Amino acid sequence: MPLSGPFLQELERIVGASGLVRTLEGRLVYECDMHTFYKGAPDAVALPTRTEEVVEIVNLCRRERVPIVPRGSGTGLIGGAMAPVGGVMIGTNRMDAILEIDLPNRCATVQPGLINLSLTQAVASRGYFFAPDPSSQMVSSIGGNVATNAGGPHCLKYGITANHILGLELVTGAGELVRLGGTAVDRPGYDLLGAAVGSEGTFGIVTAVTVRLLHAAEAVKTILASFTAIEDASEAVSAIIAAGIVPAALEMLDELMIRAINEGTGAGYPKDAAAVLLIELDGPAAEVEAQGERAARICWERGALEVRVAADAAERALLWKGRKEAAGAVGRLAPTYLLQDAVVPRSKLPAIMRELIAIGARHRVQIANVFHAGDGNLHPLILYDDREPDQLARAKAANEELLRACIEMGGTVTGEHGVGLDKAKNLPLQYGEADLNFMYRLRRAFDPDSIMNPGKLLPSHPACGEGFRPARPRVPDGAWI
Amino acid sequence: MAFVPGSAAPDIDEIRKCVHCGICLPQCPTYRVLGEEMDSPRGRIYLMRAAAEGRVGLTETFQRHIDLCLGCRACETACPSGVRFGSLLEATRAQLRRSRSPARRRLLEAFVFSVFPEPVRLGLVLAAFKLYKRSGLRALGRASGALRRLPSLAAMEALLDDVPAAIPMPEVVPACGRLAGRVGLLTGCVQRHLYPHVNRDTARLLSLAGFEVVIPRGQGCCGALELHAGRPEAHAARARALAPAFPADLDFIVTNAAGCGAAMKEYGHRIPELAPFAGRVRDVTEVLAGADLRLGPLDLTVTYHDACHLVHGQRVRHEPRQLLGRIPGLRLVELGDSELCCGSAGVYNLLEPEMARELLDEKLARIAETGARVVAAANPGCLLQIAWGCRERGLDVAIVHPVELLARAADAYQD
Amino acid sequence: MSVAGSSIGEAFVSIAGRDRVRDDFEALAAATVDGLRPRWVVRPASIEQLSRVLALACDGRLGVIPRGAGSSLELGNPPARVDVVLELAELDQVIEYNPDDLTITVQAGISAGALASLLAPRRQWLALDPPGIAARTVGGIVATNASGPRRMRYGASRDLLLGVRFVQADGVVTWGGSKVVKSVSGYDVPKLMVGALGTLGVLAEVTLRLHPLPEAERSWLVLFENARAAQVLVERVLDSPLQPSRLELFNERALRLVSAEYGGVGVAVSIGSVAEAVREQGERLTVIAGSSAGRLVALSEAFWSQAESAMAPPQGATVLHVATLSDRLAGTIGAVEDAFRTVAPRADVRLSGCAALGTLRVLVSDAGVGETAAVTTRLRALVGEVGGSVVVARGSVELRRSIDPWGPVEPCAFALMRSLRDEFDPGRVLNPGRYVGGL
Repeated sequence: MPLSGPFLQELERIVGASGLVRTLEGRLVYECDMHTFYKGAPDAVALPTRTEEVVEIVNLCRRERVPIVPRGSGTGLIGGAMAPVGGVMIGTNRMDAILEIDLPNRCATVQPGLINLSLTQAVASRGYFFAPDPSSQMVSSIGGNVATNAGGPHCLKYGITANHILGLELVTGAGELVRLGGTAVDRPGYDLLGAAVGSEGTFGIVTAVTVRLLHAAEAVKTILASFTAIEDASEAVSAIIAAGIVPAALEMLDELMIRAINEGTGAGYPKDAAAVLLIELDGPAAEVEAQGERAARICWERGALEVRVAADAAERALLWKGRKEAAGAVGRLAPTYLLQDAVVPRSKLPAIMRELIAIGARHRVQIANVFHAGDGNLHPLILYDDREPDQLARAKAANEELLRACIEMGGTVTGEHGVGLDKAKNLPLQYGEADLNFMYRLRRAFDPDSIMNPGKLLPSHPACGEGFRPARPRVPDGAWI
Repeated sequence: MAFVPGSAAPDIDEIRKCVHCGICLPQCPTYRVLGEEMDSPRGRIYLMRAAAEGRVGLTETFQRHIDLCLGCRACETACPSGVRFGSLLEATRAQLRRSRSPARRRLLEAFVFSVFPEPVRLGLVLAAFKLYKRSGLRALGRASGALRRLPSLAAMEALLDDVPAAIPMPEVVPACGRLAGRVGLLTGCVQRHLYPHVNRDTARLLSLAGFEVVIPRGQGCCGALELHAGRPEAHAARARALAPAFPADLDFIVTNAAGCGAAMKEYGHRIPELAPFAGRVRDVTEVLAGADLRLGPLDLTVTYHDACHLVHGQRVRHEPRQLLGRIPGLRLVELGDSELCCGSAGVYNLLEPEMARELLDEKLARIAETGARVVAAANPGCLLQIAWGCRERGLDVAIVHPVELLARAADAYQD
Repeated sequence: MSVAGSSIGEAFVSIAGRDRVRDDFEALAAATVDGLRPRWVVRPASIEQLSRVLALACDGRLGVIPRGAGSSLELGNPPARVDVVLELAELDQVIEYNPDDLTITVQAGISAGALASLLAPRRQWLALDPPGIAARTVGGIVATNASGPRRMRYGASRDLLLGVRFVQADGVVTWGGSKVVKSVSGYDVPKLMVGALGTLGVLAEVTLRLHPLPEAERSWLVLFENARAAQVLVERVLDSPLQPSRLELFNERALRLVSAEYGGVGVAVSIGSVAEAVREQGERLTVIAGSSAGRLVALSEAFWSQAESAMAPPQGATVLHVATLSDRLAGTIGAVEDAFRTVAPRADVRLSGCAALGTLRVLVSDAGVGETAAVTTRLRALVGEVGGSVVVARGSVELRRSIDPWGPVEPCAFALMRSLRDEFDPGRVLNPGRYVGGL
């Protein structure tokens, strides 16, 4: 859908020539996020610097019924920041200021384009941090974290993004600037803030975020336990949780992944291990000490090959560096992969790992695993070469089978990456018509004209986002006259 | 495919190693300034891929985004997939040179490349420049506004505050004390003429550290600038000429210019027979870091700027800091964003003065924050660029190569 | 089409059975809400029955008041209509308890006390501790977003509710969220249901995140002359590596009811962890208390139940929930006490506050409707400066008629709330008029 001349002129008036990307080459690089499988170039990219500009853009688009696709740093894994039907992409990366740091109330207000890690860096010297730590935290924007309700290794203890967002300033699809929540808790009324976090830009565009900051833990202990069998590692995970220990993070890597990371960053993971558990405990020193010993003992009891404790901050950083860059390091194993984000109840880890191996064998695909074992959030990477059509087909088949297996075990299709374009089609595995219908109608309250990030988060529906009425329960015959 | 096939086309397998994760973005100087995907490493690789797949042509817009890259390779340090962006950039620039190049920039490039990589010619030009400054022609040239009309030449004029007298170097400097090895010293083009004392100090320190230093006369240019500008053939010719100038039995070939060192260490990528030579190239700080140096006290507060082609091109981050830290009394304060390019980037500041200026301003602001009176940087381009910026801003900061501080500390010990 | 009254009653009976539908005077009088007597009290035994009851009520345009333990019926505006009181206490089944996953799925009518007894043998708990919790239903706690002192460490319902099955006003049974501890598939519908007072749907089944009980827990009380001095301690503790699970402020009146020995303003601190860490943090707390010129008293666990009794509202009392900022807590406590001293000098005002979150629970007895309303208005102006709120969590019908019990809601946000209510319950079947802005 090419945009009209007057529309583009108006857009340029709002953001200025330097805030508007119109060239073919410029639009092309915005056609996908980290999920390069889904491509769709916007007809224009606007790069506003102020909330007022965003309000004007949304109203302009609404008037002309032009779709809007929000984008932060473009690190999403679900095809969320791409324009399947064109329209205007609004990149928030130039809105990256820290507006206020309020340490007495342990919160900060930032613009959405601020890079996640930059916030922690800004408050670290005063002993605070921003807890959500997706592996992309060195580049992903806080606005993007809010949109996808991003998780990360440490959400096992600290919770996902939603648990750390106190307030949002949002330009809804109706072009209204609305403030949801704020520094003070318990505002009367529906928790629209809670619903807006994770809405993947389908409610509107976030222009400011108030986040909770946490006091840095006194002590941190990172333990690396390697195992000769992935099932032993899985059982160690269950045993640690059952012992009443809630580690800050509890990550698992399989053999293939260990190899890729070691080649990439030289993280020094044991080469001969079939599984590595990365256990991080934080909190008061005495607690960390006691629980660290207990966790290590559990690992030995489950047949660990080796249990290592990072001696200092540098060693800890190196162990984590490898984990954080895992998805990127896979480039060394295969040119392309499908990354899954399903969750199973943690107690089903051994079962799903067995299933995964079987699925890989059945479809003749290599599957590398790196995941948040503590909360059962799997990240199998199904490797394939996109130049071989047959490989892609097999990878897709394995992917589908894997998702179904997770749902059958009581899980969910996405634990932290979000739905986007990628998993919209999978939601019916998990939700019935009534459940989806509720979500369609919720979306419409924020975006009455269906211009916000079309095609994302919910499966496309014959009624084109109008929602539909599921069957109502039977009313007794006698009630009718 | 928009690229001309052949050895000079960007390696598609290298392009495909990019998984589009974006971890490079915040490390890229042009992305930090512009905030646009197409001026980020990920965006540039995506454009290269699109060109390789025939989805875009080598258009003026395409070229603009490639031209604007500093080639600092900060993205390589950041990249978890190990994409060798530098080589992709070089190949893409070579492709662009074949197919197109805007007239103004071509003229300028022609001038730059007729002078810089030729130590003798550079010397002549600089001698003329010296005359020009002393004669008062400089004031006239400025007043006439002639320089303003040629912003890049204005930039060069500004960079060159003064041209020092040449320092003659012997062909061999004997080792002091027990012999630790024999090394060759690359004297470079810019280094030789603008920072001759850095070469002198390098030789002296190596000698103090027990190395016999061989300084072949008639050694040419390493060809780094040409490689970065997409002139692989010219680069290869220089590499083939340079290597034999050094005796084959040297333990190391030492450089004190980060750009030269990075290019020489990678000779083997393009010219396999030069791999053994490339394997012996070391930055001076790498050699000295392991050596026994006796250093006296210097009462200075110093901050260290990471030259791109040392930290990203050669992954030498720790050694210079370790060496400076060994000087008694010297207080080393970390520079914020020390790994961010200062805008010099070879001849980039001459070709893209506006972007270079933005980055320089950023760098100066970080330097001012440290409160240090001395900035150490291990590359002549950085030294020129930052010194110019400090002069302009009236910042009372001395810009030196780390070996200058080490040499002074060594003097202090002998005293 | 219209539905006749008597046949609706028969239809309820045909859905739920005769003994689950009451329309006798005694039952209806006991179920009166804010002076309005319902026409039926229906007590569904299953979600299916609940669904059909609501479908019928919706067709008949009846007003339905969902009721758990009935402890929060004085929250919100007096309802516009009361036709059916829907008693949910029999929806109390445990659907699935997975101790290894630290999750449980229960029907919403289960009492929190029963749930706690079920979890205790595994040393697990649902980390919510609102006043009077044992008798309350889990659904009621979620629907009213009730919380207690430990919220500072474990969060509130929104942080613990993973999945929810609810019945919309038209009877459609709907599921939102998931049964695992981490999921972002689709909108976060569970959060929308928290504190919504059932106006978007009646909670039928909830999946909750559980926590391990700490190995050891100890509590201390630090006493100060005034709230300002107490605030200093609070700030020092929060800006330290200590990890308290409770940091609760009490005013003098509340403290004296616990023990005649206590006076001034008290900060009660609990620390839960492994025994060694509890001991070690206790020592550090002692140092911080000393440097803040506070008197430190070690507490037994009984303190908390005594404090809860002290803060439990007697008949006719008013409870205000004040939300401000953590660093304004001392000032706000002063303002509350001053306001009552000026406006209603004989009022009995007891205060407790979650210091880390900046929330206060104000229990007022012996104050007139006009007086309490005046103070509420005054406080709203004060905390409004920082986006805070004052909600009448409990109070007489008269009070809740004379003043908006919820207080103001930002207009743009309210417009969205209204459109949601219009979308999901256009006929205002569920708790008609009770919610914010009369929704």
